[in-house]
Amino acid sequence: METLKYEKPLISKITAGIPNKFGLPVKQKIISEIDGLPVSELIEKYDSPTFIISEKTIRTTYQEARRAFETRYPKVQFAWSYKTNYLDAVCSIFHNEGAWAEVVSGFEFQKALSLGVHGSQILFNGPEKSAEDLTLAINHNACIHIDHFDELYLLIQITRKINKKARVAIRVNMDTGIYPMWDRFGFNYENGEAWNAINRIMLDENLDLIGLHTHIGTYIMSTSAYAIAATKLSNLFMATSRKFDHWLKYIDLGGGFASKNTLKGAYMPGTETCPSFDDYAEAISNAIISSEIPHEHLPVLFLETGRALIDDAGYLLTTVLANKRSTTGRRTMVIDAGVNLLFTSFWYNLGVYPSMDISEYVEDTTIYGPLCMNIDVVREAINFPQAKVGDQLVIERVGAYNMTQWMQFITYRPNVVLIDLEGKTHIIRKKEELESLQSFEINPKK
Amino acid sequence: MKISEEVKISDNGFVFNSKTGDSFSLNPFGLEMIKSIKEGKDFEILKNEILQKYDVDDLTFEKDYYEFCALLKHHQIVVQDNPTDFK
Repeated sequence: METLKYEKPLISKITAGIPNKFGLPVKQKIISEIDGLPVSELIEKYDSPTFIISEKTIRTTYQEARRAFETRYPKVQFAWSYKTNYLDAVCSIFHNEGAWAEVVSGFEFQKALSLGVHGSQILFNGPEKSAEDLTLAINHNACIHIDHFDELYLLIQITRKINKKARVAIRVNMDTGIYPMWDRFGFNYENGEAWNAINRIMLDENLDLIGLHTHIGTYIMSTSAYAIAATKLSNLFMATSRKFDHWLKYIDLGGGFASKNTLKGAYMPGTETCPSFDDYAEAISNAIISSEIPHEHLPVLFLETGRALIDDAGYLLTTVLANKRSTTGRRTMVIDAGVNLLFTSFWYNLGVYPSMDISEYVEDTTIYGPLCMNIDVVREAINFPQAKVGDQLVIERVGAYNMTQWMQFITYRPNVVLIDLEGKTHIIRKKEELESLQSFEINPKK
Repeated sequence: MKISEEVKISDNGFVFNSKTGDSFSLNPFGLEMIKSIKEGKDFEILKNEILQKYDVDDLTFEKDYYEFCALLKHHQIVVQDNPTDFK
């Protein structure tokens, strides 16, 4: 006798008085394949959990961003933000698309050099630059974005010592009407600190001031904040020209563009609320073009957006380890990927989806990671179908920051696999092993 | 374990507990289970019926059944048969 399809028995409390503006989805979204490759095959080949990166999505997203800016502004150059994802294969794709490198440490600087990036195409940001780092940057003719006066004077000292010129810009912080205002990096615009820094640099014969940089914040959903930033940098640009008869080469608006992930506490999903590249491009380009800068001296517009370029290209494949009920009867589910791999789960409601049609009945669920730590919560509340132990899930939009801010904690970090343009898979970072981790340790008691 | 007298169950899976004022919805299999419990069907008998009828193994069903029972107890839909009746 043919048996009927089994489904777990369920009872759900009906809660009145909490209207959901969006209603429940008509059909549960399923991610069964990535770039044409079935999730089940990827897990079988590369284990669970596994990060997957789509080269196709990286290139499509990058080209979309370029198109948005280049159709509105004559001179645009993207610089890939290494800290967002500095896996060699990922950086190489961005460089192949034409991006320069934007680095924030000596380590990242050396990584960019090792990938064949010419020193003059490296933007060196960040508050931590040692004398060795600065010397390396000067010797490679990089663009050093000075963060504070101590760094400025250290740079003057080094250029005198090695008798070489340094190509520099200053990082400017400013009030663009957003909260919180990032004033911990760079020189302030409103109180005249940035202007003082420009004056000091212009007086030094070993420093060649070539640009102005700002980075107003992260996950900025207001395009008008970028317009204000562009206007203020344009003002400094013109003030420098008027006083010193010196035309700077570029204005760098940094990064901070929002990706389509949904922030915790957000009322609407990120896919509905995040500005597009066109929106950002329109605001920034308009502000610079309509400033006092004459057309023949329009600076190159640098952009260091990271998150918005890579988030969509990253997926994390994971497997259900257990289903439990809390003391309040709430459904909880344990999966084999936790906050050790998903740093962004601390601020996003990450999209978690089944890889196959599991059940049409969803239940409010808390998703925990596998760590023996109370903080390991991937999703505090998500309407999720009745996944069983062993069911495979996909977490989307995890390309930014997770593969740099992940922790080697309790367990190994997994394989990272790239799906190339031809649909072939490549391990671009191997799963950790005991031997590789212990190779850093020295045990005097053994 | 028996269904509380204050609980009313409709044929389309709607459950109302007049004692607590709460209402619930059941999926089709949940409805089948609650009806079996109401009939006082013994777990072993129920299990054999289900294993013959559905594509499920005995351990999965056992796990799901007891999780379902725990939820019924949590929502005060079932009550103990007789707490003083030690067998």
